[in-house]
Parts: sequence; C-alpha cells; structure tokens
Amino acid sequence: MALPKRIIKETERLLADPAPGISAIPHEDNLRYFDVIIEGPNQSPFEGGVFKLELFLPEDYPMAPPKVRFMTKIYHPNIDKLGRICLDILKDKWSPALQIRTVLLSIQALLSSPNPDDPLANDVAQHWKENENNAIQTAQEWTRKYATA
Amino acid sequence: MAKIPRNFKLLEELEKGEKGLGDGSCSYGLADSDDITMSNWNGTIIGINNSVHENRIYSLKIHCGEHYPDVPPTVFFLSRINLSCVNQTNGHVDPSKLSCLLNWKRNYSLETILMELRREMGASHNRKLPQPQEGSMF
Repeated sequence: MALPKRIIKETERLLADPAPGISAIPHEDNLRYFDVIIEGPNQSPFEGGVFKLELFLPEDYPMAPPKVRFMTKIYHPNIDKLGRICLDILKDKWSPALQIRTVLLSIQALLSSPNPDDPLANDVAQHWKENENNAIQTAQEWTRKYATA
Repeated sequence: MAKIPRNFKLLEELEKGEKGLGDGSCSYGLADSDDITMSNWNGTIIGINNSVHENRIYSLKIHCGEHYPDVPPTVFFLSRINLSCVNQTNGHVDPSKLSCLLNWKRNYSLETILMELRREMGASHNRKLPQPQEGSMF
C-alpha cells in the first residue's frame, strides 16, 4: 500500500527535526500510526512528566484531521479519562494546511494553558474553576504518579 | 486502505455505542469508564421476536485483547441462555459455532457480534429451545 507523499515528507521532517519536547515515531508495520511523547511544559502542572500519546492518520488525511489520544493518565479539564482531547483543530477547526507537528505543538500548548470553560472532563473542569490551586496540585500529583518514567 | 489501530477503532465503536445502535435491540459500553486500555465491555441483547427469547434481556461481557481487531474478542453470556453456540456451563460463546467469530474480519465490530447473536436466537435450530428461568445468571 503506497503512502501519500505528504505523509512521507511530514514523517521525514518529524524525525530529522523534532520540535522541542516532542517526539513522534511511526510504527514499522503501520506508517500512519505514531508513538508520540510530549514532555510536560515548564511552569505547567505537568512539568517533569513524560506523556505517551498515540496518533493515527486516517485514510482521508490531510482532508480529515489526525486522531490523537493520551495513553498516559492526565488530570486536565480538556482531556477525558480515556485520553480523548478536546481541541478545536482536531475537530471543526481542522485545515489541511495544518500538520502533525502543528497538532502536537497545539497539544503541548494545551498543557500549558488548560481551558476549563470548554471542558471535556466536567468534574476536572469544575474543580479547576472552583479551586484552581487545588486542581493544579492534583494535576501535579497525577504527573508524578503516572507520567514519570 | 489505512489500517486503523486497535485503540482508535475501539474509540469509534464506543462513540457509536454511546449514540445508540439501530432499533435499540442491542447495546454495549465500556465495563469501566476509567479503563484507558478499553479492554472490557458490557453488552445487552433484547431477545428477538417470534422466538422463545422475545422480550428477554440478556447481558454479556466482551473482552477485547491487545490484538483486537486482528483477532476477535472473547464473548460470554452473563445471563443464562440455551443457544447452540453458547457453552452451557459458563456462558462462553464458542467461536467455532458463530460465523462472525469463526470468519472474523478486521472491519467487524462488537455490534456485528451482538447482532449476529440476536439473529441466532431466531434461527430454526434455536428458536424453540427450552430456556432457563428468565433473569438467571451463569
């Protein structure tokens, strides 16, 4: 099965010139399926954490967005218990001009700026709004518990 | 065709299951909504009309291993049922006796299995089998 040139190009660039704190490596037996690692950004509740994600480029990529999911548990108002991510560019704001790299950078940015007003995990978002310091503390605990190698 | 990996296929199935399937005669969901591996599922089948199973509600458990959907899941009835493909001591659905499990394909789903089991209830060799008391469990 031939892989579209666009995917080959993106993959080559991801491997040769990875974004800081992000790695994405395709599976040998499925070049549309990537193991992703995002380091928790400095000065975020996720600092020091190493988060595993998986990314899949569906048949109609880049007309359709990649599918991305956290495999490491994370306490974040825009990420649910199954690791699904609420991010506009993964849904209605997707554009074929975006790339795997931009998606992963956006997810990294989401870790720096949780948005409890557009929640996916309602209980976490409520916690964040009612007592932000306490929610951040929980996020730090989860980072230590689940996201350190 | 792009080969959809296990977890993304299961997420799609989960979303479909949450919206509800067809006429509501079959349904399924995660056994533990916290389970990031999405391995264990619950299923429900409402017995097919014009059979001894009519209006009975059957519960099942389904396990999707790490190689799903390259290999089919394992399926057990929790509710007692007398059906030719179901082991009568533990409720296990014998994969050699259910066509979709025997001839499993990657694009099949939990829905495929539940729908076929429901059709099996109405098959001539199953339709009139004597049944255990309604609501009893394996």
